[in-house]
Amino acid sequence: MGYSRVHANVREYDVFARKARVEPLRQVGSVVAPDDDLAMAYARATYDEERWVEMMIVPRDAVIRLWAPGESES
Amino acid sequence: MEPTNSGTFETLLKRGELIESTSEMTPDYLRELKHTLIVSGDTELISAPAYYLAAKKAPSVNAFMTGIAIIQDELAHAHIAFHILEELGESQEALIFKRDPKAFRYPYAFDVPLESWTELVVANAMYDQAGFCLLGDIHEQCSYGPWKRGLVKVMAEENFHLRNGRNWSKRISQAGGAAKEELQRAIDWMFPLTVEWFGLPDNLKQHSAQLDYRLKGLTNDQLRQQWLSTVVPFMESIGIRVPAHQENSHFVLDYPFPCTFDADAKRWDFKDPCTWDDVLARWRARGPRNAEMVALFQESFAKFQVQV
Repeated sequence: MGYSRVHANVREYDVFARKARVEPLRQVGSVVAPDDDLAMAYARATYDEERWVEMMIVPRDAVIRLWAPGESES
Repeated sequence: MEPTNSGTFETLLKRGELIESTSEMTPDYLRELKHTLIVSGDTELISAPAYYLAAKKAPSVNAFMTGIAIIQDELAHAHIAFHILEELGESQEALIFKRDPKAFRYPYAFDVPLESWTELVVANAMYDQAGFCLLGDIHEQCSYGPWKRGLVKVMAEENFHLRNGRNWSKRISQAGGAAKEELQRAIDWMFPLTVEWFGLPDNLKQHSAQLDYRLKGLTNDQLRQQWLSTVVPFMESIGIRVPAHQENSHFVLDYPFPCTFDADAKRWDFKDPCTWDDVLARWRARGPRNAEMVALFQESFAKFQVQV
């Protein structure tokens, strides 16, 4: 692939949210931003389709994956 | 039970699973997915300048603000598609700001200028309804997880655009007189353009990779019928004529499809049928407003680049 949206000046964040307390958090999308503050602003503005009771973002490089779709457990 | 993680691309697809990453895709699937996303992103993106140039003719500040809110939604929808394209290895900047205007892949209808508030609300009632049918199908059927999830927001907001289009169309029709005549004239040229939006009829379209890959679920003719089944009864209910009628559960066009269109005069010649090759040639050449609309966002970007 020729192009990568992650480079020296920006990080990727996964966005999680839930509509009601009885629901589990679910992944609603991702944002790419140069810092946490802008990432929060982007997440709020981009994923505004619901009145969430909870929303959080996690830098993708902080996530430790045990396994993922398309990969076997290592 | 077999874990959902296992299996080749084909078995995942056949089982109705979602594809989540490029490592699971075949090159052919990736190409079709990107193509479908570009058409969708381009359509949302170009609706912003198309609607903006008409929203400036809003009859009140309130109406103008509604128009601007819709444009903001459309840009956010475009962003969702282009953001996913970036994850798939395409540069958003290159796609939006550095592509030749003729290389954009949105429906031809947007190239014909919307020049009044009436034409804008008819676009909300008919073009956004077309988008609603197409994206609703993708939202239900799409085999690519990130896009399927991203479309939740898009579907909710397109509903608001439709409501704006329908409320205003009804209001203008009820006003009667010259206002209603203007509404009828807008629908006369915009209705056949939206019918054509759904592409080649199924008997001419031999094979669809998008259907094979579950990037969509319904054929062109099925989607066209779905659109007709919402737009025709609505327009009739507000006293507006449309060149189509219902026969049993099926909608039939009252004019030769396809036929010739004079974009500058915004006039269809129902007495002059043409071939789909003629239509494809008109689409490829793009219409009157293509370059102007693309320049609206590309020129601003170029100026911004000079400043920084």
